[in-house]
Amino acid sequence: MQSYVSIENLSKSFGFFTAVDDVSIGIGKGEFFSLLGPSGCGKSTLLRMIAGFEAPTAGIVRLDGADVTAVPAHRRATNMMFQSYALFPHLSVGKNIAFGLQQDRLARGEIRQRVCEVAEKLQLSALLDRKPQQLSGGQRQRVALARALVKRPKVLLLDEPLGALDKNLRTETQYELVRLQRELGLTFIIVTHDQHEAMTVSSRIAIMRQGKVLQVGSPAEVYETPVSRYVAKFLGEANVFEGVAARRSGNELTIESAEAGGSVFAAATDNVSTSGRFWVSVRPERVELNKQGSGLEGVVEQFSYAGSGRHYRVRLKSGAMLDALRINLGSQDDLSVGDTVFASWMPRAARLLAE
Amino acid sequence: MQSKPNLGRRALVLVPYVWLAIFFLTPFLLVLAISLSSVRVGMPPYEPLYAWQGSLLSIRLNLENFIFVLGENTYLFAYLTSLKVAAISTALMLAIAYPLAYGIANCSPHSRSFLVFLVIVPFWSSMLIRVYAWMSILRNDGLLNSLLLHVGVISEPLRIMNTETAIYIGIVYTYLPFMVLPIYANLSAGDRTLIEAARDLGCSRMAAFWRVTFPLSLRGVAAGCALVFIPVIGEFVVPDLLGGADTQMIGRTIWIEFFNNRDWPVASAVTVLLLVILVIPIVLFQTRLSRTPT
Repeated sequence: MQSYVSIENLSKSFGFFTAVDDVSIGIGKGEFFSLLGPSGCGKSTLLRMIAGFEAPTAGIVRLDGADVTAVPAHRRATNMMFQSYALFPHLSVGKNIAFGLQQDRLARGEIRQRVCEVAEKLQLSALLDRKPQQLSGGQRQRVALARALVKRPKVLLLDEPLGALDKNLRTETQYELVRLQRELGLTFIIVTHDQHEAMTVSSRIAIMRQGKVLQVGSPAEVYETPVSRYVAKFLGEANVFEGVAARRSGNELTIESAEAGGSVFAAATDNVSTSGRFWVSVRPERVELNKQGSGLEGVVEQFSYAGSGRHYRVRLKSGAMLDALRINLGSQDDLSVGDTVFASWMPRAARLLAE
Repeated sequence: MQSKPNLGRRALVLVPYVWLAIFFLTPFLLVLAISLSSVRVGMPPYEPLYAWQGSLLSIRLNLENFIFVLGENTYLFAYLTSLKVAAISTALMLAIAYPLAYGIANCSPHSRSFLVFLVIVPFWSSMLIRVYAWMSILRNDGLLNSLLLHVGVISEPLRIMNTETAIYIGIVYTYLPFMVLPIYANLSAGDRTLIEAARDLGCSRMAAFWRVTFPLSLRGVAAGCALVFIPVIGEFVVPDLLGGADTQMIGRTIWIEFFNNRDWPVASAVTVLLLVILVIPIVLFQTRLSRTPT
């Protein structure tokens, strides 16, 4: 399949600092694609190169098949929603939304019609005469979105679009964005440092670190099959133990781990060699804690009640820490701090990692 | 106990009012009083406004000075000339200061502070000395003419000294920093992502400037215009030293009335009317500013 947005070997250096390092990503039409990473990982610079605000040091940006690397921002069929919203303070909400259409010299009637349309879709119809500084944070966010959407861009770029909203409004707006994106059938590329947000909204996620893309995949793919310890720990929580030797029997691996202080299980894979260094990763919610039985022995050192689940930190005999999460199904809690427990998991719950 | 901090706060608010009352209102009331008096030979050179006749207080207010000033074309022309000179030099300064401020605001932070420093440097020497320097530059045998004659651009010296051109040069030179600084302050505080947003929505650099940067800088422009227009109307030193006899501005008129004619009441009446003329644009600026959003 031909990519709608195609980033080919893109790099950007500022002096000696390489912000984006030889990145290649293909994004399909109608995708909700996330660039996820900690601050300073180059995700915003990558987005700004797609928008045309930064000229790449090397590489090509293609949009709908055409090479747009040399096309300036104001001639690209992309629109950006800025983290600070960047609403024009001297213009009313209506004029902010109409700004781009006026610049394209559309007929007055058409401008009015399109502004009204998008205002209705985003519940801004009653606010068109207000000035941006008279709006709440959520309303400003919607104006910024409307101003970009009204131009009907091929690709909408969103730079930390929900960063300034409080948590409840944020969750609601995430669903709203997804609904809007499906309804309009547009391609969205969003930059975020919030892994939960990326998981909630995206069809696919690119995880970035130090200018490089570590992994691209659907939320389930990157969560279930992380390629490295870094990805496993960045997306949610993970218990990672270094292995020493592995024995394979069918689809299961039994791994000796000095770090964990015993043998642990993992699903067999051909992708990771067990002759060199390798690691086992298991998510806290897949760890079972029992007062008797087999598994890694340890003592519950900390407990926190997180509402939807109970979080235990177990000090293993080897000295390593193990996190376990029990989903709160309303049952009685039979573990308390100081209890001796045995931690185990199904082989398919754990993954082998090469780096 | 609660009234104590309140009292302190009130006293603090009182400071600027007391200041204005002592250094602005009192002198103005004195001038207003003199303008309502009439000339006499002596010291002070005007009649007292009130006198005690036994137990009766008699106050004599003389409106003739105002009637005289309003009826004389000389004064009217002086007012109009001052307004014209102020308007034209304000426009000239805006044309020079805006690109200058824009350029400085777009420099790197390090060179910015150096360039702003250069704008302020002339204030470190006396204005009078700088105007005298201009005299030696603009004279018929001055630096400018010598240079142009030497290079061969002109064959006869240009007559700039004692003309209106010299007044404009002097005023624009003297007041330019007051126009540059507020515009610069406004432009450098501007949000750069707004320009990117405009570019993203289809504006060329030029269009983004006219649709976003310029309208948002109007507060700075208004402040700069007010800061130069109002003092230039009453400017005395530059037209007196660089200007000719044919450009009679109001500052010089007042000086002549006070010191040459020793007619303090008429001079005061001219001053009071000048203040009235000045109050109108100040009020206009103020209402404009309070209406535009920050």
